[in-house]
Parts: sequence; structure tokens; C-alpha cells
Amino acid sequence: MSMKDVGYRFKEFWDDFRKETSGLIGLGILVLSLVVVLFEPVFLPFKDVDGNWRNISYWQDSPPAAPPAWTNLFAAEKSATTAYLNDPIVEDVDDPDFGLARVYTFKYNYKYDKSPLDIIFRAKGDGMLFMNLSVIRPDGETVYLGQVYEDGLAGDDIRFTVDTDARSSVYEFIRAHASEEAIANSDSSNVKATDIIFAKAGADMLSAREPLKGEYLYKVTIPASLFEDEANRIDEAKLIVTGRVSGVLGTDTSKRDIYSGIIAGLKWALFIGLVTSVISVLVGVLYGIISAYFGGTTDTIMSFIFEVFVSMPMLPILIVLSATFKPSIWIIIGAMIVFYWVGPVKTVRSMALQIKEETYIEAAKALGAGKWRIIFKHMAPILLPYSFANMALSVPGAIVAESSLSLLGLGDPSIISWGQILHDAQLSGATLNGLWWWIVPPGLFIAVMGMTFAFLGFAMDKILHPKLRTR
Amino acid sequence: MYKWYALKRILRGVFMFALLMFIFSFLFNQVNEQTQRSQINEQVKMESMRLKGMKPEQITAWRDNRTDQLIKMYKLDRPLMERVLFRAVNTVTFNFGKSTVIKSSKGEQDVLDILMEALPRTMILFTSAIVFELIIGIALGLKKAQKPGGKLDKSTSFITMIIYGMPSWWLGMMLILLFVYVLKLFPSGGVNSVPTPAGFAFVLDRIWHMALPILTLVILGFWSLSFVIRNLVLSTLQEDYIMSARARGIPESKVLFGHTLRTAAPPIVTMALLSLLASLSGAIIFEGIFSWPGLGNLYWVAVQQNDIPVLMGDLAITTGIYQAGLVFLDLIYGFLDPRIKVGGKA
Repeated sequence: MSMKDVGYRFKEFWDDFRKETSGLIGLGILVLSLVVVLFEPVFLPFKDVDGNWRNISYWQDSPPAAPPAWTNLFAAEKSATTAYLNDPIVEDVDDPDFGLARVYTFKYNYKYDKSPLDIIFRAKGDGMLFMNLSVIRPDGETVYLGQVYEDGLAGDDIRFTVDTDARSSVYEFIRAHASEEAIANSDSSNVKATDIIFAKAGADMLSAREPLKGEYLYKVTIPASLFEDEANRIDEAKLIVTGRVSGVLGTDTSKRDIYSGIIAGLKWALFIGLVTSVISVLVGVLYGIISAYFGGTTDTIMSFIFEVFVSMPMLPILIVLSATFKPSIWIIIGAMIVFYWVGPVKTVRSMALQIKEETYIEAAKALGAGKWRIIFKHMAPILLPYSFANMALSVPGAIVAESSLSLLGLGDPSIISWGQILHDAQLSGATLNGLWWWIVPPGLFIAVMGMTFAFLGFAMDKILHPKLRTR
Repeated sequence: MYKWYALKRILRGVFMFALLMFIFSFLFNQVNEQTQRSQINEQVKMESMRLKGMKPEQITAWRDNRTDQLIKMYKLDRPLMERVLFRAVNTVTFNFGKSTVIKSSKGEQDVLDILMEALPRTMILFTSAIVFELIIGIALGLKKAQKPGGKLDKSTSFITMIIYGMPSWWLGMMLILLFVYVLKLFPSGGVNSVPTPAGFAFVLDRIWHMALPILTLVILGFWSLSFVIRNLVLSTLQEDYIMSARARGIPESKVLFGHTLRTAAPPIVTMALLSLLASLSGAIIFEGIFSWPGLGNLYWVAVQQNDIPVLMGDLAITTGIYQAGLVFLDLIYGFLDPRIKVGGKA
């Protein structure tokens, strides 16, 4: 078959395919997912999610078990969303404590009803650093947060969180404003620092907490004299306001951004599904052709082997295999191929039995063509197109099988798959705690992938097997 | 001759079963040897820590002794081929022996007892689900076939494709989330409440526990069933005898149920039976999600506890039922479809 033939057959196929609405929808979703996979960094809010999915410190600045940000739309009281402030205003001012000082100011516009969970200041430092941190509120009050003193830094991370490091200093702020009685009645260990910073100051600020909306200035003050020594440097200063709601799909209990996990899992789902189905269908088609072409004893033996494989339950055996071997995605794919190749064998064998009797095969034989030449040059090219629908339709099965293994905790720990996200959700009782944004999306994406390939497969099936067309 | 055909078919089924058991036995003995050895070492270490008032050499001697004992118990001292054969022969003869860890609800360790406790639970769940699926599937399939390409046909076929790749366990999770935690209508899992009520209340309680898993299975199951039934019925409706039946003035319902469905029955029965057989072994996760203590759940527990006798027994039962079902189907096919005459050389 020449390239021209292939082109012609493809055009013919495409003319039919264009009329299938569901097939086009499937194609659209598939193309969209391929675009997402190819331009993954554009869609990922956390760029280094691959390889860091199980790295606890990578996720330490996110809120735990936060619902998606868009839930605010349906909530009466709006919760603060996660915000990243990466561009501080740097100015040199006269500071009453330090004299001349360099000040990094982050402007944060607070317009919610529920305060953020935490405010985290992050920077990279060199040499010796000393800084004062404080917040100027919209009402003009200044909340002193604390000091950071670090020596012997070499590009190390500096991290200051309001929730843990500024607890006692914020308590001073309460003492200055709240009444003696209120303080005596409250348990100081229960007071959340961010709740106080973002609430109106007053005698009853501990019991009746009213949000103070407006522009907050987070100031990091460093004595200018420090920078006279070239070795002392501060870089990449940024502020992370950890919201009560976060991201497109929220976070799980280990603070991981679920949307990033889903996007990063997409390529694995596609990869597992496509590789497994393409290889196993190719093997199956070839097996069917060989079995039919050779016939006789070969056919009997091959049919028997086929029957043995059909009778083996896949999931139980896969479970035992992955429970004992160190689970790797290659072993899982390989094992799935071992069970999936049987799919097209029966139909291909019966079709090949018919083709075998055609006169052009006889002619090829008479011209002295070898067995393999006939199989690969004359029979396979005719039968392969019929298996394309089969390929598409066996993709969902492979994706679900891998997810099932991962759901049981037998997945490859070096990748992110949707089944693994569901496994973690099951382990931490997400159903019980109502963390729906942790369970719904992974399964929904598995289902959508299945739907996509079902659309494609059924549409191709209709075109390639005209007998099944709606009469 | 039918009886020779039947005998041949049964013998073939038995041979296939024996061969599969041999393969499984080989697989599991090979695969689990390492885990079992390390488990024995762990167990001996734990036990020796509890010993008191013994000299070091006594403890070492005791340890070696205990290790040997356990290795003998698990037959790890025998060569691999012998273990494989031993296990396969025992399994084929339904002599599963005693489990190593798992106990039945009465506290017995006989594998057959444990399996026979789980089997009816799996059977009742999936059989009732298939019955519901068949009823809805046939009704919908007939409706679809009556107006092929119509609105109902197109929309239901569309839904069939939408749920094509939806994992049943995920839908189960969703329904649990909705019906158990939000609406608080059904229990989250298990076969019966604790304490288990008696008499008629027991039946009601069981149905209440079965409702959600069955609902899940039926919601996902009947679409594809109706799709296949539609295709089968549609090709039958094209036949001349249907046209002649209609021409004779036979009522449409009789044409559908009497003539069409009777002709389409053999493949429908085959399909329903095959999907029932397949669901018996493939429900490991589904049963886990609903904490349904059937064969699937038992299998997963056996994998986690490394209880090979139970594992083998579980697989033997499910494979055995599957093979027996295939044989049964082949044997009754002649009755279902009288057009197929079975000769001696089938």
C-alpha cells in the first residue's frame, strides 16, 4: 500500500467521521487533553508538581483540606483565597529603631469575611540578616509581628509564618485593645493570629470578631547598614497569604493542590491507556492472523492458549503481582498487555479465515511470496484498520485497571495517577469528612477519559463496520 | 450424539480448570515465597521477644526451632515444583486445607467454611443486580429498537457512551457521599446492622444494606445491556416472519415478546450469564468500597495477610464457577436455540 492509498483511505474515513457528532466531541476532548499534556507548565499552578507530589516541604505553604476557591460564589461569608505577592515595593526610609533602613512593603487587599489561615514571608538570604516584621492595618494600627535574625546563610530559605512565629507578639496587640475581662475569659492558646490581624480592634474583639476590610501593608524592615557588607544579601522576597479556600480544585489534607495533581496525572492516564491498548491490540491482531493463516495444529494450539488467557481473571492476578513486586508503571503496563491482547483475537481470526481464501492471496502464493510477506503485506494492512475502533474502546479499560490498582495502594509511587489521588482520599476518610473536591474530580476525569475514547471508538466502529449502522 | 458432546465439553472444562489452577499455584508459590520467609522471620523475632528467663543460646536454639517449625508448616522446605503440584492437586480436589490467618465468623480456620460464608453474599448481591439490569435493559432495549435513530434511541445511546469508562467503585463512592453522608438514607456498608435483627426485620435490614450497591451496579449496568439488546432485536425485526406476523394482525406486544424476544433470547441469556460470572471475581474494589464481606473483599484481605490457602481457594471457587458456567451455557445452548443441532463432532 503506497502513501497515496493511505491518504485516500484516510480522507474517505474522515468524510464519514465528520458526520458523527459524538465522535467529533471525543476527538475534541482528546485534542484538548493532548494540548494540556504538551503545554503542561502553562496549566500547572505548581510547576514542579512532578517529582514533588510526595515531598511534604514542597507543599508546606498551602492550606490543608481547603475547598476550591470558587466555592466562595455560593457561600454567604466569603473566605480569603490564597494569594501570592511576589513584587514588594523596596524603599529606603528613616526608621525610628534602625535609623536608615531598607523596607520591603507588600500590599494586600483584604475584602473577605473570613481571614486567611496564615501569612508566610519567604526569602533567600546570604551572610548575616536581621529584620523586623510588622503589619500596618487599614485603621492605622500597627501590629508588630517579630524579628528574624539569621547568620551564616548561603542562599538558604528564610521562612516566617504569622501563625506560628508571631503568636505571642500578636497577643500583645490583643492586650492593648481588648478589655481585661474579655482577655480573662478567653483561652489565649485558641486565638488564631490571622483572625486578630484581620479583625476590627476593640474591647470585644475576641468574642465578636468583625472583619476589617481594606489595604494591609506587610513591612519587612532591614537596617541599611547591613548591606554595607557585600556578603549580606536578601533575594526573592515574597509573601504568601494562605487562604481558607484555594486553587481550582482545592487541596487535600497533606496540603497538595488537587488541580495540579489532576493535570499532572492526565499524561499518565493517556500514556497508560494508549500504550496498553495499542500494543495489546496489535499483538492480538497479529495473533489472530497467524492463527488463521497457518491453520491446522498451529491453529488448535494457538486457540487453546488464547482460551487459557481469556479464562484468567485479570485484577486478582495483577493484585498479587503488584503486591509482591515493587510496583512500577512498566510492570503494570506489561501485565495489562498480557491480559488485554486477547480482545480482538476472535473477530480477527474469523475475518482472516475469509481473507485467506481470496484469490489475490492465492496469486501472491503462486508468485512465490513467503508466509510472512503474505501476512504482513497482504493480510495485516486490510485487518488493521478494523482494529482501530478496538484500540480506542480498550483504552478506558486500561485506565480503569491502573486506577483500580492505584486505588488499592499498588500503584507506581514515582508517578501521579488519578487512582493514587483517590487512594489517598480513601485513606484519610475524605468521604467521611465531606471533602468532596478530593473524590469527585479524579473519578470524574477517569470517567471523562473513558467517555472520550468511547465516543471515538463507537464512531470508528460504525464507519469501519458498516453492518452496525442505524438502519 | 448429545451425551458424547456433553461428556467431551465437561471434560474439557475440568481440564481447563485444572490447568488454570496449576498456573495460579505456580504463580503464587513463586511470588509469595520471599514475602512468606520474611514474615516468618518477623514472627519468630516478635515471639522470641516475649520469652523470659532464657539464656542467649537457649533463645537462639528456640528461634531456629520455631523457624523450622513454621517453614515446615508453610511447606517452604520442599522444592518449588513439589509445592506447586501439592497446592494445585489439593485445590483441584477442593481440599483447601486450613487458612494461616483468616478466620470465619465462627472462628474456624477451614478455608472451605470461610469461602462458603462469603460466596452467598457475593451471589445475592450480583444476581439481584443482574436481574434488575435485565428487566430495565430489556424494556429499554425494546423501546429503542422500535424506533431506531429516534430521540430515545439516540439519547440513551449517548448516555451509554458517556458512562462507558466510569469505574463502578467511583460511582459507589459518589453515591455513598450523597446518600449516606448528605441525605443519611442508607448505611455506609456491611451486610447487616449490629446487632443483627431476627426474622422479617432481618430481611428488611439486609435489603436496606443492599440497596446502595445494587443501585450503583444497576445505574451503570443497564445502559450497555439495552444497547446490545437493541442491536439484537433490531436485526430480528428485519426478518420476514416478523413482517408476516404483523401482516397476520398479531398484536404488536405479542410480536415483540413472543416472536422477537424469543429469537433474541439465546444471546441475551449468554450475555447476562457471562456478565454475572465475570462480576463474581472482578468485584474486589467494589465490595471493598461498600465493606461487603463477599469473595472479592475476602480476596483483598487474603492478599494483605498473605494467606495463600484462602487466596487459592478464593480463586479456585471463582474460576471454577466461571468454567462451570461456560460448560453449562454450551450444554443448554441447544435447548435455548433449537436451530442449532448438536452433532457428535461438535
